[in-house]
Amino acid sequence: MITAAPHTSLDVAALARSREDVAVGEEIVRHRYSSRALHWTVALFFFLSLVSGLPIWTPLFGWMAPLLGGLSMCRVLHPWAGLLFAATSLAMFRHWWRDMRLRPEDRAWLRPETVVSYLRHTREDALVGKYNGGQKLFFFAVMLGALGLLVSGVVLWWPTRFPQGVRVASILLHEVTFILFTVAIVFHIYLGTAALPGTFAAMTRGTVTRAWARVHHPRWYREVTGEDARGH
Amino acid sequence: MTEQTLEIRRSSASLWGEKTGLRHLPVVAKYIDTTTCIGCKACEVACQEWNDLKVVPTEQTGSYQTLPTLDAEYWNLIRFQEQELGGGIAWLMRKDQCMHCADPGCLAACPAPGAIVQYENGIVDVNPQQCIGCGYCLSGCPFDIPRFHAKTGKMAKCTLCVDRVSVGLEPACIKACPTGCLQFGTKDDMVARAEARVEQLQAKGLTKAALYDPAGVGGTGVVTVLAHGDHPEWYGLPAAPRVPLTVRVWKSVLRPFGLFAIVGSVVAAFAHFMSEGPKEVRDVDGEVGPRS
Repeated sequence: MITAAPHTSLDVAALARSREDVAVGEEIVRHRYSSRALHWTVALFFFLSLVSGLPIWTPLFGWMAPLLGGLSMCRVLHPWAGLLFAATSLAMFRHWWRDMRLRPEDRAWLRPETVVSYLRHTREDALVGKYNGGQKLFFFAVMLGALGLLVSGVVLWWPTRFPQGVRVASILLHEVTFILFTVAIVFHIYLGTAALPGTFAAMTRGTVTRAWARVHHPRWYREVTGEDARGH
Repeated sequence: MTEQTLEIRRSSASLWGEKTGLRHLPVVAKYIDTTTCIGCKACEVACQEWNDLKVVPTEQTGSYQTLPTLDAEYWNLIRFQEQELGGGIAWLMRKDQCMHCADPGCLAACPAPGAIVQYENGIVDVNPQQCIGCGYCLSGCPFDIPRFHAKTGKMAKCTLCVDRVSVGLEPACIKACPTGCLQFGTKDDMVARAEARVEQLQAKGLTKAALYDPAGVGGTGVVTVLAHGDHPEWYGLPAAPRVPLTVRVWKSVLRPFGLFAIVGSVVAAFAHFMSEGPKEVRDVDGEVGPRS
């Protein structure tokens, strides 16, 4: 716990390069620089895979192909973008998996009625730590998804080296995983931006306000500041 | 190659407007009588010559067969099969090539608009200018026909000599056949000829002789007379070829469902934002919590 005051934003930014889970004045560092860089590297390769894959997925998105130099370029780029996406996802797994282990309170968080109350903003859950049950589930779901996309993607990359049954199974696996993955990412982006103001800065500047932490992650707030989440 | 003069009936990865003409052309077909094939391979040579494909050295595999399987630069291959039969051996020959299915699995699986087309006359053709070499067509093909060419990065297969057929000539393989076991004409004529030949064979004691024109792919542009029609697998032909169900599910169920799910998730997020609004954090000490 760091309490010296006053703090300038430069102090916070400097601290956020190397440390996280520390409070500086009215702000708390949630993601240090390496965490944020890793997240955006994965995101970059995800979007490159998405833009190169969508025109191959359906001609409805054929208009995207010229952005990368045509459909043949998409076919060439997509496997490499996907490979880099899988590799950086592995780095992401190593970086975060300890924080993402499900605890009993996370399982309680994931019950349907409590998820509904979360979405209706009527919930106050003092036990939510740095990541809530939904975030943890999302983490493991996308990691599993990345694995599925990688395994099936390798087969689709070199179709002539695999038997027909494996090829066809891979087409279906790639398709289903892609659909679920993309739906999950849509909600991830929504919850990280418009739905919860103050959240996006955690992945750009690296910091959140104390108030944000008290509301969304009270147990994490207590652990970082030593204060009660009620703020008294 | 695509023939500009031929109208297109179906085109891969088309959402709308794939049919390009009004003319009704008769559907063409090759007739192959495996009982009169002598394995001379004149058709193989004619195919290589007419299509300006390179000379492919024979791979010795202990049979008369030129290559173990089709190649991106070898679209027509006589397969030699030795089948044990009643204490002896039946020496079976069959011309392996694209079957030009009426309902082509390659075309169904292809993701590149216009890379595989079916002309009004039934010929199924790869258009290299549109092909991206992904190989999905191979997964859709029940006959294992399209081949990837490493140099061009495209798929290649028999064109049914569409360039010859479109100017009124018969395919090169037909032209070269010395026994008449290969013939060319409209599908109706070739089926009638094959049925007559099957009757003749049955009368001569080959009671299992049959015509191979599998309904699972809507019939093929190659009608084959088999002496042992009850065992097409002896000739290396699938007994009941179909466009794989998985390809159908993929294109007809998963694709629309996926579009619905992805667009739906964006709509759902927006609807949630409108009904529940952002979860604001009021930055006043002691007054934190959900919006009241």
